[in-house]
Amino acid sequence: MPEFSTQPFFEVARRLEIRGETGWLAVLAPVTDPTAALDQLQTELQSILQKPARVIQLEPSTFEELSGDLHQPDDDAVILSSGTGLAQEKWRSLDVMRSALERSGPVILWLSPGDVANLTEHAPNIRSFIGGSIFLAGPDGGIMTETERQERLTELSQHFRLTGEEVVRKAEAKELPLEPEFVEWLVLMGRGDLV
Amino acid sequence: MAGPDGTGRFGVTVERARQRAVALDSNTDRQLAEHRLDAPGKVFSEIRAFLLRRAGGMATRNDPYQLLKFRQEHGLEVIVLGPPVDKGPTPQHFHFDSGARLSFGLTLREVERGSQVVSFRYHYAFPDGRSPHFLRFDLNDGPHTDPLAEPRCHLHPGIDDVRIPFSVHNPIEILDRIFFVLERAT
Repeated sequence: MPEFSTQPFFEVARRLEIRGETGWLAVLAPVTDPTAALDQLQTELQSILQKPARVIQLEPSTFEELSGDLHQPDDDAVILSSGTGLAQEKWRSLDVMRSALERSGPVILWLSPGDVANLTEHAPNIRSFIGGSIFLAGPDGGIMTETERQERLTELSQHFRLTGEEVVRKAEAKELPLEPEFVEWLVLMGRGDLV
Repeated sequence: MAGPDGTGRFGVTVERARQRAVALDSNTDRQLAEHRLDAPGKVFSEIRAFLLRRAGGMATRNDPYQLLKFRQEHGLEVIVLGPPVDKGPTPQHFHFDSGARLSFGLTLREVERGSQVVSFRYHYAFPDGRSPHFLRFDLNDGPHTDPLAEPRCHLHPGIDDVRIPFSVHNPIEILDRIFFVLERAT
């Protein structure tokens, strides 16, 4: 498999935004938990593009169903999912109906690893829609690292002149001030059950 | 009008003021209970998209992808940007072209088909030399024993010990006020 650029989903969405929200690109689904990843991609598309994003499964769709779904409406974002992978014949059929797939809103092909070779070999016209815009689903970022968590706990402890143990004791005794900093403190210590 | 003993028909006594403050907090509690947000992951994504869009139109460089963080635990999600307590500018703040800076933290509780706001803190520090020095929008995770002095949802007008009641807003609405009202007036 050729080497593709790894990009977080919000970056994939921003590329579509920069292109004027039209156009095609493809994303290779991660091996672990592709369903959750697909949800995240849909969320990022909605947030960045500020428009609805739909997932359409390619496998069970007939030509008429797919064409209808893509054009009703025509301008939202659509993720065409190949599921666990499409057969060669399905790719050939899609390539033949390529003009019916064109729309004003963006299209994202959500591919399994085996799909890229089939796409290139059996759907060359769709492959040309995508060009070089094939990306590997990358880490979305945003998750607080352990170092960042420890730094925040230290800042809170120094500011309020309390230890984590004291905060937990006060929370258990219902003596902790009801302020947002203490809520964050408890969650960062893994004691969200006391909130 | 208040009589000499402060018990006139407008009830201008501190006791009546406290009763009104309790009623205001009850109203805040009701609004929060009824106010559903999207799932925490979607709220995080929307905040990041908002910041990315605003950062793109500014001369000052900010990278919301690096600045905005979250942590999930026990059905709660903490979304933070910048330090938990503002003690001066840091690279982790969101910096405005005016010289102002922003840090915030909010906690959401995941509920069926979405989330509820548990608490928040948005600290907007004006550029050096400006008065007030800061505005901070706080939502506490419960009512204070003296809601007159500390309404559950309040604004600090540059003074830590002064808390003015503030209506419940969703996270994006507060950013709207900061970016499109405070920053434009700075």
